[in-house]
Amino acid sequence: MKNSDMLMHIKGKSVFIDDIRDIANIHHGVIFTSPVPKGIIKKLDVKKAEQADGVAAVFTYKDVPGENQIGHIIQDQPLLAEDSVNFVGDPIALVVAETRRQADNALKLIEIEIEELEPVSDPREAYGKGELLVPPRLMCFGETDEVWDKCETIVEGTAESGAQEHFYLETQGALSLPIEDGKVKVFASSQAPGGFQHTIAEVLGVPMHLVEIDIKRLGGAFGGKESCATWAALSAMAAKILDVPVKVVLNRKEDIQNSPKRHPYITDYKLGLDSEGKILAYEVMLYQNSGAYADISLPVLERSFLHAVSSYKIPNAKIRTAACRTNIVPNGAFRGFGVPQSVFAIESAIFKAAEVLGLHPSELQKKNLIHEADPFPYGMAAENCNAEKCWNSLDSKYNIENRIEYVKEYNEKNVLTKKGIAVQPVCFGVSFTQTALNQAGALVHIYTDGSLSVSTGAVEMGQGVNLKIAQIAAEELSVDLKRIKVETTNTTRVANASPTAASTGADLNGMAAKMACSELLKRLKKVAAEIFSVKREKIEIRDETVYAGGRETDITWEKLVNTAYWEKTDLSCHAFYATPLLKFDRDKEWGRPFAYHAYGTSLIEVTLDCIKGTYKIDSVDLVHDVGNSINEELDEGQIEGAVVQALGWSTIENMVFDEKGNMLTSTNSYKVPDIKFLPEKFNVHFLENAPNPYAVSNSKAVGEPPLIHGCGAYFAILNALTAVRKDKEMPSLPLTPEKAFMYIYEKE
Amino acid sequence: MISCIVNNKTVETGVNPGISVLEFVREELNLTGTKEGCKEGECGACTVLVGELHENGTVKYKACASCLLPLGEIDGRHIVTVEGLDSSLLRPVQKAVFNNNASQCGFCTPGIVLSLTGFLLTSESFGFNDALDALDGNICRCTGYASIRKAAEELSIIFKDKKGSVEKENRVEQLIDWEVLPEYFRSIGGRLENMIYSPSNISMFNENKVLIAGGTDLLVQKPEGLLAEDLVFASKLDSIELKQIKEANEYLHIGGAVTVEQLRKSEIIHKYFPSLENDLLLVSSTVMRNCATVAGNIVNASPIGDITIILLALNTRLILRKDHSRREVMLDKFYKGYKLMDIGGGEIIEKIVIPLPDETSLFNFEKVSNRKYLDIASCNSAVSIKTDNKTVQEITVSVGGVAPVPLLQNEVGKFLKGKNISTENLIEAGKILTSKISPIDDIRGTAEYKKLLTRQLLYSHFVKLFPDKIKYEEVAG
Ligand SMILES: Cc1cc2nc3c(=O)[nH]c(=O)nc-3n(C[C@H](O)[C@H](O)[C@H](O)COP(=O)(O)OP(=O)(O)OC[C@H]3O[C@@H](n4cnc5c(N)ncnc54)[C@H](O)[C@@H]3O)c2cc1C
Ligand code: FES
Ligand code: FES
Repeated sequence: MKNSDMLMHIKGKSVFIDDIRDIANIHHGVIFTSPVPKGIIKKLDVKKAEQADGVAAVFTYKDVPGENQIGHIIQDQPLLAEDSVNFVGDPIALVVAETRRQADNALKLIEIEIEELEPVSDPREAYGKGELLVPPRLMCFGETDEVWDKCETIVEGTAESGAQEHFYLETQGALSLPIEDGKVKVFASSQAPGGFQHTIAEVLGVPMHLVEIDIKRLGGAFGGKESCATWAALSAMAAKILDVPVKVVLNRKEDIQNSPKRHPYITDYKLGLDSEGKILAYEVMLYQNSGAYADISLPVLERSFLHAVSSYKIPNAKIRTAACRTNIVPNGAFRGFGVPQSVFAIESAIFKAAEVLGLHPSELQKKNLIHEADPFPYGMAAENCNAEKCWNSLDSKYNIENRIEYVKEYNEKNVLTKKGIAVQPVCFGVSFTQTALNQAGALVHIYTDGSLSVSTGAVEMGQGVNLKIAQIAAEELSVDLKRIKVETTNTTRVANASPTAASTGADLNGMAAKMACSELLKRLKKVAAEIFSVKREKIEIRDETVYAGGRETDITWEKLVNTAYWEKTDLSCHAFYATPLLKFDRDKEWGRPFAYHAYGTSLIEVTLDCIKGTYKIDSVDLVHDVGNSINEELDEGQIEGAVVQALGWSTIENMVFDEKGNMLTSTNSYKVPDIKFLPEKFNVHFLENAPNPYAVSNSKAVGEPPLIHGCGAYFAILNALTAVRKDKEMPSLPLTPEKAFMYIYEKE
Repeated sequence: MISCIVNNKTVETGVNPGISVLEFVREELNLTGTKEGCKEGECGACTVLVGELHENGTVKYKACASCLLPLGEIDGRHIVTVEGLDSSLLRPVQKAVFNNNASQCGFCTPGIVLSLTGFLLTSESFGFNDALDALDGNICRCTGYASIRKAAEELSIIFKDKKGSVEKENRVEQLIDWEVLPEYFRSIGGRLENMIYSPSNISMFNENKVLIAGGTDLLVQKPEGLLAEDLVFASKLDSIELKQIKEANEYLHIGGAVTVEQLRKSEIIHKYFPSLENDLLLVSSTVMRNCATVAGNIVNASPIGDITIILLALNTRLILRKDHSRREVMLDKFYKGYKLMDIGGGEIIEKIVIPLPDETSLFNFEKVSNRKYLDIASCNSAVSIKTDNKTVQEITVSVGGVAPVPLLQNEVGKFLKGKNISTENLIEAGKILTSKISPIDDIRGTAEYKKLLTRQLLYSHFVKLFPDKIKYEEVAG
């Protein structure tokens, strides 16, 4: 089933924040930010800027009416810098003018003196200096010391992965309107209406009911619009103080410079195997480069922590993490949320072990896949485990061994080009690891003409969550999909919503909507039961028609709704859902943090040009576990989009910082995949017959898990590189053409 | 005053001609279907179609990135935004996007729709590859492109099929019949003809003015600075020669306002340098190449400019003109230092002149960038060789990205001239090359990388041109 939103997109009629034009007198805010990674503000002079053409005001931290704070997990991030700055891009002042051009011009008139301090950009160095957001975490499972003596093969190494920019096509932004009674209404490009409302109310120093957040759609988000409320808060503050509508929309340059990224990690690993190639022990230390402020780094790191063993059964594991504070941009959520970095570490270890043993890594991967009832290091056992099913399904379609053999033969025969191939298993836990966030509300109205309005806390960002919710509601009530309108996400209709994140958008909100519909159905059936003088259980609604005692009646959906109204039935219902069974004890690092896991396996093949070090991803073939898909077309789109994003992360998306933390990458040097980057063969299959009892309609979350497939591109390229030479350390990720080239040609 | 037609509406405006068409349609006309994704030509969300009247009264369209298209450039032209497709009915392009779920968040979608419409307007054959080329400047972060590629394929199949029946001479008329374009497009030619539009004269250009060609460089470098300048638009200069590619007296003449895409599609180029059609796909993207000019690439003076590197290897000279006086400069003598050129105020490149190759000539171009398409090179290199397929008779090698200016490698040429085409000689030439270049570390790569890569590009030229003469195992070993 197709997403009808597309009908507006293709006509250019979909409205994004910057497209809102029907409001008079919109002012434009531009942010003055720190030019240095770390320093003390000695002098800030905004007078000239204030007097510039068209300028309404220049705000600094002194103007913040409430708390000058936007950190929500750790309160460490001022909205506007007070006396110190901690990354290039740290907001210092907001210029508001009648036009964007005037604001930009005024910005140049701000004078600042900063005494520069020695910044840190390397997480290991920050760790050494004790610059940590919180003390390191440690999880031990099984024996962690003596076991190493029993290992036949032990490999150790370091895996380093870089930052990734979201490059959602719609940049960060918000438009805030002052409305009577001191209220502010904020149209924000945000995944977290509840969180933004909370932060903005604190910034404004008003109760939350004076801040209304309304979200229609986002032009992409991928986690990038989940946590940092800076831009929305600044627009709300300016609108409130100036009593005019204020828009703050970043341009691409500002967005790349100032918004959170996927965290760079450095990981030290040690892997031990027995003589059969079974993994006996794994030890890993994950240094997260959290950036200048905590933002949402800790939950990201917690998810890395919980995914350290990825898809593998590892009986003895010691997992440590450290959130290291540096002077690069504060990093945040990005689809995958810490999992890709963990996967990269363990897959690096396996790759290395396979090299030592003279095997293709897939032999070790397969041997060590997690099975039904095997425990994860945090105690939860794999349930309805589909790791091997996905592997076998892929194997039956593509014959993994043959493909690997083909690559080997190709490489024996060819000098100018080499091929590489990698298998990438996926095992991704679904639920917010902060257990309480696994809750959602929905509000459903049935109008007297039989049409429905559905509000939830889910934000539509292209993933099609609104369509999934509409489908769930339509199915529950057995009405035509056309009757259902999923509304904007608005804090006055659904309060305290968790962010649309952790892939749970449809799981949680869909279930809440289903529950509300189910309650309404009950009420309607009661009305029908009275009409036909039968018990309620005898009433059924099928395709908009009432059946009594199994027999079709002449009561249609519309008639029933209308009758119910005249019978004074409440045709509105709010429902609340919280994922059951979840429990996680952070003191013991033990429990059930996830409702379930999503699985998959992929096969990625590349060709390397040995003269130039360039490569081409030839094919991606994958099987992915989506449970019983609610909407196969949407799920396929989610898988394809996620995979390509990770292909980019693994290969060409290269975000470079110098030692001081200055970002060297800009709009014209940050390259995300384009249409020609797409592998010529890209085959996506759903795992068949895999209903999931733990989510709505037996489905599975699909936003993030398939991203992991794309990590295999790194190992496929490395596989090709090792066909040229074997005496080199593994390069850091992304494995850019430059690194591939140097792997081949650098002397050592 | 600028007069143009935007969609179906004639517009006259006194707005500064230096602002972008993107800003104009969004801020002045409230046509918000055209999106700003980057303002640097990198994403294609701002794609529009630009129609220009031709001598025979037909209108020729091309897709352009409106964020780098100066408003002055559309004087007397037709601009089509997504709203101008008049979607009371769904157009075939829109249907293809819808049918294949080629849109998720929708932000990139108007640009995709227009680029695909551009494909139908310009592709000879409606081939699938042409459709992909048309999309090479459109970034989509949601779909991963698989669905977009399917939409492109569907269109290619449908229209190849239709083409099989009958096709009108005039593509626009044909596309109106096929409902790709709305009816009002029939009236555009006539309306443009009646528009008061005054071309400029070359002698109107002087040292106090700024010449703007495609604008793809100027609007990135100093968008705000242009607003205060007196602008002269190269495409509006009344000399027809400026816009032509011609063959005369053993030379190829490329006019100073010829675009990169025009070069890529030129039949004369296909005849003499057949590989360029593909090579030039490595230069920026369709929406950029449709505007960016060859002369602009030369004057941009980037040490890594692709077209400059190609032209250097072809022994190109420039005809510079100021008012009525003309002079010639060899391209390799044109560059004096980083972004310093032998060009005076008020001078314009009128023509770019290349000696025609003969049957003994071979040409090859190599470019390596982080992303293969729509990316600036880490290193690039071109070579032209005259050979009897045994020895090198003449050779010119250019390399980019390894010095403050685009460079000819005369020493390498000197060494190879008259030598056998052999593995040993190639290795020796590689050594000379690496000893002569001094790249620097930057975002496109470390100095060490560029140094080694340049040598490899030289190897690559020879491996490609003389596959049976060069044993790469030995070169690498
Ligand atoms: C997204 C993007 C991608 C790009 N990719 C590439 C790439 O892959 N390879 C590459 O080489 N370049 C690339 N470029 C650089 C740029 O597009 C090219 O250099 C282009 O050819 C410039 O031409 P233009 O007509 O747009 O120049 P303009 O911006 O119009 O002008 C550039 C300069 O040339 C002068 N000028 C123009 N015409 C003449 C003339 N006839 N006589 C005298 N002076 C003249 C102008 O006054 C100005 O100083 C890219 C740029 C962008 C924005
Ligand atoms: S806005 Fe990105 S190319 Fe124009
Ligand atoms: S659909 Fe979101 S960027 Fe293309």
